[in-house]
Amino acid sequence: MRSLTLEGASFWYPATESPALREVSLEVAQGEVVALVGALGAGASTLLLVAADLAPRVTGGRLTGSVARRDRSGIVLPTPWTQASGMAFTVWDEVAFGPANLGWPTHEIARQVDRALEQLELVPLASRDPATLSGGELQRVIIASILAMDPGLVLFDEPAAELDAEAARALWRLIRLQAKEGKAVLLATSALDALPDVADRVVWLEDGAVRAVGTPELLADVAACDAGLGTSVASVWRASGLPGPYPLTVAHALRRWR
Amino acid sequence: MTGGRLHPFTLLAIAGALPALAWILPAPRGGAATAAVLTAAPFWLFLLLLHDVPTTIAIGLRITTMVASFVWLVAALQPARLVEAMVAAGWSASVAYLLAATLSAVPVLKARARRIVDAQRCRGLSPRGGIAARLRALRALALPLVLSALHEVDERALALETRGLVPGIRRTPLAPPPDPAVEQAARWALLLACLFALFRRFL
Amino acid sequence: MIPHPPLRLDGVSFAYGTVPALAGLSFSIAPGERAALLGRNGAGKSTVVRLVAGLERPDDGTVWVGDWDTRECAAERLARRVGSVFQHADQQLFASTVREDVRFGPRALGVGEEEVKRRTDDALDDLGLTPHAAHHPYDLPPALRKLAALAGALALEPALLVLDEPTIGLDRALCARVSSALLERSAAGVALLVITHDLTFAAETLQRGLVLDRGSLACDEPLGGLLGDATRLEPLGLVPPGVAALSAALDLPGRPVRAADVARELARVARGRPAP
Repeated sequence: MRSLTLEGASFWYPATESPALREVSLEVAQGEVVALVGALGAGASTLLLVAADLAPRVTGGRLTGSVARRDRSGIVLPTPWTQASGMAFTVWDEVAFGPANLGWPTHEIARQVDRALEQLELVPLASRDPATLSGGELQRVIIASILAMDPGLVLFDEPAAELDAEAARALWRLIRLQAKEGKAVLLATSALDALPDVADRVVWLEDGAVRAVGTPELLADVAACDAGLGTSVASVWRASGLPGPYPLTVAHALRRWR
Repeated sequence: MTGGRLHPFTLLAIAGALPALAWILPAPRGGAATAAVLTAAPFWLFLLLLHDVPTTIAIGLRITTMVASFVWLVAALQPARLVEAMVAAGWSASVAYLLAATLSAVPVLKARARRIVDAQRCRGLSPRGGIAARLRALRALALPLVLSALHEVDERALALETRGLVPGIRRTPLAPPPDPAVEQAARWALLLACLFALFRRFL
Repeated sequence: MIPHPPLRLDGVSFAYGTVPALAGLSFSIAPGERAALLGRNGAGKSTVVRLVAGLERPDDGTVWVGDWDTRECAAERLARRVGSVFQHADQQLFASTVREDVRFGPRALGVGEEEVKRRTDDALDDLGLTPHAAHHPYDLPPALRKLAALAGALALEPALLVLDEPTIGLDRALCARVSSALLERSAAGVALLVITHDLTFAAETLQRGLVLDRGSLACDEPLGGLLGDATRLEPLGLVPPGVAALSAALDLPGRPVRAADVARELARVARGRPAP
């Protein structure tokens, strides 16, 4: 079942000549993780804002083409500290902020908040003041806050940027879990090495348009490596001059080597 | 009136110099009591120059009470609790947040100013020193503070949308501050006291 | 050991109020040395940066920048020897053009106008910012603002550069620019201390790994040996970067960790030629 469908979507930010998105067509199904990759400025963040119904509604600008959404969406921005409410005494209250705004009954709010705190391993921090958290801790709190609103379509913009290795690994596991629970996940990330284990499909954006779509194997293509979008293993294999196809991960490389 | 014998220009000079000094001079050291006395002294001194002693005390106490109550309000009122109370009373969430955001703007700006000053110090800009240095430091702080604050307002508006602030939905109060009957009665009593005082004053 | 290295921490302890951050930390960095400060979030890395920049004073022990004790120096004076760039530096630019902002540091140092111009131009050039020099900082995307903040520190031409997560938000092309600018400075004798959780960047650019764990130094050794060793990194909350993991898995001779070296060894081994 498709959660999000874009057909020929083009978007211009206010007072800009050139479009940030050009004729993008994309589908994300429930239970699927789709990753957006591309250079900075390629349009991934804009695409997520359009999917979240924030562009053009809140950002202004012009959208052509069609966008169809089946579920409520939740988005984690690349600057999570801006998403903090600024008026919660504790992490628990901060995570409850979203569900409370949706007008849910208190027992439902408590259920969703407790679940989100557990999923993000935030239970030890539940009574801390959000203003005292580190960047990585706050990013996890914001992710918990968005998940607590139980969106059907979850959008992430560089969610691992501030996280250390352990927290990042936990995040990728969590994202797979969201998909397993039936949510549709669309994620923009530059952590290419993680994608073979996280993403079902990869969409390569270039200058606002879709350049290629495929499984994570896409990240071992010659074109991707040359554009700086190959996994580390594939890129170094290409640089060594060895013949393709290039291995995607260390495990693939080991199999080839033997 | 004591002050009436001084030259008008002298009066202007004193009136201009005092605020300037109050702004420029560093905060007095030596604990809260010293600071309170030193800061309040000019106010009472002025009143004494203008009026006789009983009138000075009367006017001084009135003005002090008015100012003190606002200072106390800003210090004691927590934005989060105000939001909860307003929402529990039926106000819309957006109005409540607007009010709360205004109140909490100061600590956020202070924290941001702190970070900016730190970064500037690490490039050699000293916030201390002579008048010229301090003015330069103030100007160097003002621009990034205002710009990044404005930039963030834009981002915050977008970001708060992501947290479910949709018009038309009644927000669930999470922990509305308890409103014991005693406090409610006290509020009515205060209102009645004001009306009664008004009544007595003009009749 | 030289008498006054660009940076030396001597038994440094620090707590934020009652929350301990660093305990008995000691290490020193030589001129031209490139050290990575690694560890989990919350291990105390950013605290080290604040202490070195002079924004905080250690509770115990001493932070020496050259022969200056940071307790005796204001941060603005330490700027003569240390260029620091903090996280979210893109929010701290304050002039009306990028060039004005970068110029600020050398001007505050009081060097002559000619020298200010040279240092500014070099810093902008090293990071490829010259085409954007006349733009307003807030008109640039956040990634370029980050580079502008770094240029501001480079323009100070200090003996020591301390950077807190300089590559978050940068794509591979911009990371490469930062990498080559830092390598160039290091070759000229500047000491580097870089906090990063981007171990790929660390492998390419830095030599020595200082790993913090709960406020103390768990590990101080060359990155070459450390980065490929998952069993050592795991308990410290770190994961070998892709290229180093490949090198270890294939047991390449010398276990190189830099992409170019791994590519070379791969080719060599694949063609059956013995490694030198």
